[in-house]
Amino acid sequence: MKKLMTTVALGTLLIAGFASVQNTPNDTAMEVEPRIFSVGQDVSFF
Amino acid sequence: MEIGPYIKLHRIQQEMTQADLAEGIVSSAYLSKIENEKTEASLNVISMLCTKLGIQLDDGTDEMIREKLQKWYDMLSTDHDMEEMTRIYQELNEVMYDNHSADSLVMFEIHKIRYFLVMGQMDRALSQINKLAEMTGTFDSLHQFYWYKFKGNYNSANNEFNQAMRMYEAAEDKLNQLDLSEDEVADLQYTIAVTHSKLRNTLEAIDYAEKAIATFRVTYNFNRCAQCHILLGISYRRIGMQDKAIKNYNLGKHLGELKQNTQVIQLTNQNLGYLYSTIGENRKAISNYEEVVKDFDVLLYERIIAATSLIKEYYNIYNYDKTKEMITKSLELLDNTNDEEKYQLFQYITHTYNYVINEEDEKFESFVIDEFIPYLKKHRDYANLVIYTNMLAKHFEGNNRYKESVKYYKLANSAYEELVSL
Repeated sequence: MKKLMTTVALGTLLIAGFASVQNTPNDTAMEVEPRIFSVGQDVSFF
Repeated sequence: MEIGPYIKLHRIQQEMTQADLAEGIVSSAYLSKIENEKTEASLNVISMLCTKLGIQLDDGTDEMIREKLQKWYDMLSTDHDMEEMTRIYQELNEVMYDNHSADSLVMFEIHKIRYFLVMGQMDRALSQINKLAEMTGTFDSLHQFYWYKFKGNYNSANNEFNQAMRMYEAAEDKLNQLDLSEDEVADLQYTIAVTHSKLRNTLEAIDYAEKAIATFRVTYNFNRCAQCHILLGISYRRIGMQDKAIKNYNLGKHLGELKQNTQVIQLTNQNLGYLYSTIGENRKAISNYEEVVKDFDVLLYERIIAATSLIKEYYNIYNYDKTKEMITKSLELLDNTNDEEKYQLFQYITHTYNYVINEEDEKFESFVIDEFIPYLKKHRDYANLVIYTNMLAKHFEGNNRYKESVKYYKLANSAYEELVSL
């Protein structure tokens, strides 16, 4: 399992770097745009 | 003419005293204030005074209602008290259907779409759209502008960004036929910038954000300026201009601090955290994410994103104690949610790391194979599909289960190809 942990960590980094270079959706939920509405509930978080 | 002087004129013409007119409606003193524009009476009071004077709710009242409508419209697009917004909405709703111009009424009906969206009432917004769809043939250019803009807002709120963009472009096409305020134009440009960003049209997002911020700077709309800086930060990161991205995030953060806007400040922290994470600066990423997680004023959704991000960051630097701590934190936050679908991804990520960190191999395997991977496939989330199928394949490889390992490496590879072709 420890070996898995190491490879997963490296894999995640590699993919983050790769997707960043390719300008493609990458772990989309973690980068958050500001809201369209200034007030109230903005259900459009993604 | 304003409504106060208009009432006064009619009262004098009819040789009535203030006491005569005010009787049974308001005090004479209050009527005097209304006539002299020292106070803003409710629409009901105005309506009763007009009735007593035998005045139809005509141009004068229409003007007053137009002013009230304009005030309400402005509230829908700026930071205002929701209760006040609702109060004016109810007030307008009571009087709008009595002999007012069709023009004002149509505009009111169109703005109801935005109001319902601002209030988070998606079903009512959709009903309103369907109700108005039959009469779009009668809309003038201004009506059409708002109709397209608010329909686009509905699509945005529903995560239908391609459709939203079509609507915003239709609204934008109307601009050259209209004489709208620069703030109104900039608001549409900002909305288009956000939508391009969602669609990963990075250069277009930069173009529109720059246009919008040029206006917001002049009109001192610092909150919107900050939001434009965040959009620019996201866009520049995506095209590899990290320094420019950081500069924009910091400008956004500075403006957020100036306006004491917690949401803006923490949004910059979240995005800065993500930026640092992608360039391998884990410590800085952690520091930014931690700011978000510990801030109780931030929306739950944003704290959950930050908590989930922290699970990954701590895991990546082999700090398993902190990983466990963040898993507990994330589960605790997820317990407070009631929209299962919205938070599903974070549930999956948190549980997956939970099984990995606790070395619960069987649970990890069945959870990822039977639940998480089908979910990611369904949502075409290829980036996460690559990460978690790869994680599973490595796990099988480490346990000498090569056949299963190959199966998931293949799946990771095909997800990778989808990711590249997107």
